[in-house]
Amino acid sequence: MLQVNHLCTSFFTDKGEVRAVDDVSLEVPAGKIVGIVGESGCGKSMTARSVMGLVRAPGKIKSGEILLDGRDIVRLSEHERCAIRGSEISMIFQEPMTSLNPVVRVGHQVEEALLLHEHVKKQEAEARAVEIFEAVGIPDAKKRLRSYPHQLSGGLRQRVLIAMAMICRPKLLIADEPTTALDVTVEAQILRLMKKLCGSGTSILLISHNLGVIAQVCDYVYVMYAGRIVEQADTFTLFDNPCHPYTKGLLDSVSSLRSGAQVLDTIPGVVPNLLHLPAGCSFSMRCGCCMEKCADLLPELHETEPGHRVRCHLFDKEEPA
Amino acid sequence: MVRNILSRLLQAVCVLLGVALLIFIMLRIVPGNPIATLMGEHADRAVIERMTAELGLDQPILRQFIRYLADALRGDFGTSYSLGKPVAALMGAAFGNTLKLAVLAALFAWILGITSGVIAAVRKNGLLDHLFMGASLLGVSMPVFMVAMLLQYVFAYHLHWLPIAGVSSWKGFILPAVALGWNSAGSVARLVRSTLLEILEEDYIDTARAKGRGQLGVLVLHALRNAMLPVITMMAVQFSSLLSGAVITESVFSINGIGRLAVQGISGRDIPLLQGTVLFSTLVVILGNFLADCLYSVLDPRVRKEG
Amino acid sequence: MFRKKKKEKEQAQDIRLASQIDEEESFFSLMGRMARENKLAAASAILILVFILAAIFAPFLTRYSYSDMDLLHRLSPPSSGHLFGTDEGGRDILTRLLYGARISLLVGVVPTLLSMVIGALLGLASGYAGGKIDALIMRLADIMLAFPSMLLAMVIMYMLGDGLINVFLTLALVNWASVARIVRSETLQLKKKEYVEAARVIGVSKAVIIFRHILPNCLPTLIVLFTLNVPSAILTESSLSFLGLGIQPPDASWGQMVNAGRQYFYNAPWLSLVPSAAIMLIVMAFNFLGDGLRDVLDPHQKKQ
Repeated sequence: MLQVNHLCTSFFTDKGEVRAVDDVSLEVPAGKIVGIVGESGCGKSMTARSVMGLVRAPGKIKSGEILLDGRDIVRLSEHERCAIRGSEISMIFQEPMTSLNPVVRVGHQVEEALLLHEHVKKQEAEARAVEIFEAVGIPDAKKRLRSYPHQLSGGLRQRVLIAMAMICRPKLLIADEPTTALDVTVEAQILRLMKKLCGSGTSILLISHNLGVIAQVCDYVYVMYAGRIVEQADTFTLFDNPCHPYTKGLLDSVSSLRSGAQVLDTIPGVVPNLLHLPAGCSFSMRCGCCMEKCADLLPELHETEPGHRVRCHLFDKEEPA
Repeated sequence: MVRNILSRLLQAVCVLLGVALLIFIMLRIVPGNPIATLMGEHADRAVIERMTAELGLDQPILRQFIRYLADALRGDFGTSYSLGKPVAALMGAAFGNTLKLAVLAALFAWILGITSGVIAAVRKNGLLDHLFMGASLLGVSMPVFMVAMLLQYVFAYHLHWLPIAGVSSWKGFILPAVALGWNSAGSVARLVRSTLLEILEEDYIDTARAKGRGQLGVLVLHALRNAMLPVITMMAVQFSSLLSGAVITESVFSINGIGRLAVQGISGRDIPLLQGTVLFSTLVVILGNFLADCLYSVLDPRVRKEG
Repeated sequence: MFRKKKKEKEQAQDIRLASQIDEEESFFSLMGRMARENKLAAASAILILVFILAAIFAPFLTRYSYSDMDLLHRLSPPSSGHLFGTDEGGRDILTRLLYGARISLLVGVVPTLLSMVIGALLGLASGYAGGKIDALIMRLADIMLAFPSMLLAMVIMYMLGDGLINVFLTLALVNWASVARIVRSETLQLKKKEYVEAARVIGVSKAVIIFRHILPNCLPTLIVLFTLNVPSAILTESSLSFLGLGIQPPDASWGQMVNAGRQYFYNAPWLSLVPSAAIMLIVMAFNFLGDGLRDVLDPHQKKQ
């Protein structure tokens, strides 16, 4: 379905190049939910924006390809991209409070995509909007079409955004932290909704910093750190047998919460400045198992078992000469 | 919504009353009897006293004020001391010219300002951006009389394209309107540019693009409508400064308008004329602000009250 | 809710900012940063300084007198002897411009300072006291702001009569209301800050809270406002003088020079254009400086 190969997206600032996404390859198979997890600023949202073609200046896709059903969409013209956006791929943003145009009725905003891509009549668009509103669980759908965003709660707005993204029945839905701004009960509803969507044939790329969310819905998970993928595996394997020290750290900080430990396990240190990354493994400065070569030599993504890859020198198959 | 508008209307009326009272008091605390000043040193004391009584100038200020208001409501603003005609009639003749001038200037300023602001924002840091922003800076910094005199010199005196003064034909309005609108065009352009640049960073712009809207569609359908909100607020303020500038422009181009009457009111020490013109101009400003408020609540659903 | 917003988008910028804003910066280092980042503001500051020095040292900068007539050289165009030409009395325009700068700069600064003091005091009182005082002051401000400023200035000039001091008073009375409004809203925000609440709880007196805790925090805004209000005062005065209602001879402001040159405009346009250009330059310089100051002193306002 979606295949991203060696994607590099950088910001060119006065102080130098910031590699927000560095050599990321990933795959979203048809009908699956794939997750990207990582701390804020690790490049997961930038990956999503690159796929949508919504990277803002001074950011730029430097190299790599993004294949949608085999077609490389990086090389499309802006006009061709507009035709794909909203109809074949669509995206839900992380801020339901600010992602809707405050001066336009939500019904109109939802119908807009339909009118743009399918050239339907206004009345049919409205009927479809009511339909999709009901499908995403917005009560009083007909009346709600005429509301303005400020009249809706955060949960309702997120549903409107999902409805907007789904109305053209896209093949791929990118959800960037869709539940972060919402409270827990609403989060559960939204996640259930996404699972339902996936069941009806849409592939989903779910981006979150919340391992709980990932564990609930994803089939396969990529862990990102400082612009690179450090580990990838199917969800069960990742949670059962995490290999990268960073993934272990992430899981520990969650499980120590679950077990009610008095002292929270945290990963020491902070995400490194993307302008001054170490030459080797970018996690080396915070890593408990850091070795001599880690600081200077970037580890490869090694396959430890089928479908499970780790970017860490602990799993080097042979000592480099 | 209706209640909202009504309360604003009430507010506007209160401000207008305050304005009227303030002008009234300010013009009454000038030392000396205005009639005596007007009639010169050799006037007969009895005549002065009779006229003062006739005009009610010997009564307490508050009573004078109430009488003035009552007359004004009936369209009687008194008689001009220096021109000997009813102030209402003088203003009626002049108001048409000032209104045409101000509206033309506003149209010029808004159309030019909004277009160049939008283009500058879209072509941020490009040649057109620098060009328009440089020009708008000149617009904001040039005194009105300088623009007016330069335009008059170049297009009327030198090139003979347009009349040098007066508004006997529509052509006469062109130079004064451009001169008057020049400043506002500059500030509108700067505001539109900066607002639009901020709005283009908003999340809902991403949403619109993610839907598959092209650049132009995003700009026109999503960004501009939001960008217009602060611009409307500014336009109301601008209308007031246009009336201020009209005083200058009318003087340079010898246009018989409200501003020139006000100047006449001062140089002729003509209280009824000055009072009438200032009150009237302020009324227009307050009305303009009220309309801008209404327009704002039509465009921005967030300030509308439901039910 | 907004904190998480646009994290990725602003990441690059955050990195830049983080390296620059270490701790609290002193006033001078702020000014230095502005000068480095905003060349236009720096150049404007220098231009303003040059104008001020030229006004102070006017007698040393020119060999002509600003009042003595030289009827042989009336209305002569710009030349090497008279850089900007001479006026209807044969007086050197450059010389008159230098002396006129004294009045024009004073007219920019003195009334603006005055209106800042009035506006700040009323704004503080209004914002801190609230209730009836607040309502009274703000309604008065509403009324003042409803007038077209030129016409209000004309009425006040009429009330006070001619003279330099009265021009100062007029401009101060025209401008205080907008200052009061801004200071009031700032005071309202500061009043809710923890350290002000804390001071109030431990029984610090009102005057101390207002002048030690609130006023200093309004200072950046006041400095920016001052810089942006000076040019508008200069413009209003020049407009009044242009109509013959402001500064009266023998005092000469630039606006009044423009007015004096009006009747010779078609034969000798430099009479009016040179002082007009001077007004434009000083207004532009203050506007640039004000924008630059706002960017470094008041980042919230820029972002809003």
